[in-house]
Amino acid sequence: MPEYLEITVDKFTFKVATDRYYNGEGMWARPEGNNVRIGLSDYVQQRSGDVAFAEVKPQGTGVNFDEEVAVIETIKVNISLGSPVAGTVIEVNPAMETAPEVINQNPYETGWLAVIEATDWAADQGRLMDPKAYFARIKVEAEQEVSHR
Amino acid sequence: MTDTEPKPRVIIVPCSGIGKTYGSVSREAAYVLTEEIRPGETQLVALSMLVLGDESARAAVAANPAVTIDGCKLACATKMVKESGGEVVQDFAVLEVYRRYKQFKPQGIAELNEGGQQLAGALAQEIAAVVDALVSEDSDGGRNG
Repeated sequence: MPEYLEITVDKFTFKVATDRYYNGEGMWARPEGNNVRIGLSDYVQQRSGDVAFAEVKPQGTGVNFDEEVAVIETIKVNISLGSPVAGTVIEVNPAMETAPEVINQNPYETGWLAVIEATDWAADQGRLMDPKAYFARIKVEAEQEVSHR
Repeated sequence: MTDTEPKPRVIIVPCSGIGKTYGSVSREAAYVLTEEIRPGETQLVALSMLVLGDESARAAVAANPAVTIDGCKLACATKMVKESGGEVVQDFAVLEVYRRYKQFKPQGIAELNEGGQQLAGALAQEIAAVVDALVSEDSDGGRNG
C-alpha cells in the first residue's frame, strides 16, 4: 500500500501517492526494475468523472515520452494521455477492457493502465515531478478553481 | 384481466440531473418508455416530487414496483424511491448502459444529439423488457408483445 499526501478542497479530497513520479497531465510512473508501471492520478480521475471506456495502446507498441499511450472517455470528457516514459508497452491492464471504472475506484493500484519497458528511465524521470512537486501543483490548481466559482 | 380491473403499473423514476448529459438520457428514456412504447403499463414519477414529499408520488411508489434510471453513481433516483417506501425492482445506470452501446455516444444537455437519442431508445427498450416481465408475472396468461 502506498502512502499518500492528501489535500481537501471544498468537498473533494485528492490523494497523491508518494512512491512514484508525475507528469503535468497527471499521469504517474512507478519504476519496477527495468520496467515502469503507469496510470492516472487521483486528482485527474476525480476531475474527469466516471470512466466509460479506456483504450490503451496494445502490447508491443513503442511510445515516446509524452506521446499518446491511452485515451479515456468519461461522462464529461475524452482525454488523450501522454506517456510519462518512453519505451515499449509490455503489458496492458486487462481491466481496461472489461471494467475501466477501476481507474476511478483505485487509480494508484488496480487502476493502473500499462507497464512500459523503459528506453531510458533515468532521463525520463528527470522530466517528471516528484510527489511533493505534483502535490503543490494540484493544490494551487484546485484552490484557484474553487476561488473562481 | 377484465376491463374493470386496474392494470398493474410499473413506476419509472429517472434522474433529475439538470444540466448533465447522462441525466438527460435518463429522462429521455423515461419519456420514450412511458409515452411511446409502454404507456399503458408504466407511470412516470418525477424524482423532484419524491424529494418534495408529494403524497401522490409517494403513494404511487409505495404501491407499485419501481424501475429507476440513474445518471451518475450518486444514484439519487434509487435512493429516493427506497426512502419513499418503494421497492426498486431494477435500477439502470446510464453509464453501464452506454458501455453496452458504445456506438451511441451521448452529447448535449438541453437537446441530446442523435447518439443520445439512440442510447435513450436502447435504454427504454431494456426497461420495457423488465416491465413486460413484471406485468406478465402479475397478469393471468401474461403479455404477448
